[in-house]
Amino acid sequence: MIEFINVTKHYPGRHHVLRELNLKLPTGEMALLTGPSGAGKSTLLKLLLRLEDVSHGTLMVNGVDVSTLKKRHIPAYRRRIGVVFQDHKLLMDRDVFSNVALTLQVSGVSGKQIQSRVRAALEKVGLGNRIHNLPATLSGGEQQRVGIARAIVHTPEILLADEPTGNLDGSLSTEILDLFRDFHQHGTTVLVATHDQSQVERLGLPVFHLEQGILQNSKEKSA
Amino acid sequence: MSALHVRREAAQNALNTLLKQPLATLMTIFALAIVLALPVGLFAALNNLQQLLGQWRDQAQISLFLHQDATEQDIQQLQKQLQGSTGVVNVRYVSKEAALKTFEKNAGMTAAIKILGENPLPASFVVELNPLSESPAVLQAQVQEWARQPGVASAQSDLHWVARLQAILALGKRAVWILAIILAVGAILVMGNTIRLHIAQRRDEIDIASLVGATRAFIRRPFLYQGLIQGAIAGILAWVIIAITIAILQGPVDRLATLYGTRFQLLGLTGLEGLILIVISAILGWLGSRLAVGQHLDHTFS
Repeated sequence: MIEFINVTKHYPGRHHVLRELNLKLPTGEMALLTGPSGAGKSTLLKLLLRLEDVSHGTLMVNGVDVSTLKKRHIPAYRRRIGVVFQDHKLLMDRDVFSNVALTLQVSGVSGKQIQSRVRAALEKVGLGNRIHNLPATLSGGEQQRVGIARAIVHTPEILLADEPTGNLDGSLSTEILDLFRDFHQHGTTVLVATHDQSQVERLGLPVFHLEQGILQNSKEKSA
Repeated sequence: MSALHVRREAAQNALNTLLKQPLATLMTIFALAIVLALPVGLFAALNNLQQLLGQWRDQAQISLFLHQDATEQDIQQLQKQLQGSTGVVNVRYVSKEAALKTFEKNAGMTAAIKILGENPLPASFVVELNPLSESPAVLQAQVQEWARQPGVASAQSDLHWVARLQAILALGKRAVWILAIILAVGAILVMGNTIRLHIAQRRDEIDIASLVGATRAFIRRPFLYQGLIQGAIAGILAWVIIAITIAILQGPVDRLATLYGTRFQLLGLTGLEGLILIVISAILGWLGSRLAVGQHLDHTFS
């Protein structure tokens, strides 16, 4: 369960990025986070990852009060989350395997397990035959799949994605978002930030819409 | 997280990073080795100087003149005491007759002594001291103690030069320590700067690792191992530099010693001293890395 309770985020000397936000995403649910550029979508995800601190309010994630989480507990908390970025954030000098393996290495998983789990994750995203490729030799869609494999290889409780289809064309966007839906169907809580209205309508998932840091009425599942 | 395989992977990671850039790695190691070799070389030079000065024991002679009526027992007891005293390298008994012969030979005053009718010169002990065995105060106290022994009339010594010599050596040691500390800071900065460059090259990797839940220790470990490995190799290299320098200097030293009718073997580092040098060097490398990576992580994790 992700729960924002009266969460405000502002930077010193600047306007409020998020204002009195109340949002609840139950465990195992998938929702989309929409809104124009600058609405606060990325900031909301950064708060969830504890890349930014909450200014006021309480943010609870699966029983953890993220707003008061001590610094030394942040790494362990982040290992419970998978995250996908618009720009993939891949290590360009490492092959696909090494990029995905990083998530398991930081968790102290042994070499043998890393081998099998990385292969399984890459099979899931359809890149089983690209394991030793460098990211630069892959298409944008394939690079994003590597990013997704890295985010799900440790079977996180929550999967976050910040504009994962922002750099992809229509059909690739559909493929990527369908992948997220697959993971959701396996019980993962998924929150995807997107401004792609056609995909929002196609997926028919609950939507949290942000405008200038304020949550507008959320839409329930339409299909 | 602290499992052995995690540390092994970090060490492998560190080694790979160093081997990927052999020239940069070698330059860092050489820079560190030279920085370390300088104070350690000076320490070795001081040790050699001490060894050399220790050989100048004929310059630290004490003469104990005996009473005319000193008994054979007094003389034997005194000789035993002198031989068992700290810092005494050699004890030589000079009888009245031997003293007279030397006097006649050196001063050419045979006629004058013949007029006196008897030998006025006392028997004596000539004690050779290692001037660096004790402080001048201790040596002086020891000489005074000998002077109070039965059968001893007076003691003649010149320990002022020993005090001066020891003061110069103490000054040299202090100067080398200061230099060593300054250069140790230099070694830390060299390593810190090198690691800072490595961090800059791997900034993306650090940021991504942090995003997927890497702890500070996980991110820090490969950099610390890099510092440790480079520091240890620099320590070995510094040891080799000193050994080569000593080997090169031994020839001229031999020739110089021959001119003075003596022999002098230059001392390098002992096995234990060499190991200490490697350990200290590795620690300095580790410390430099820790400072650099800690500074970066404070920023990343803030």
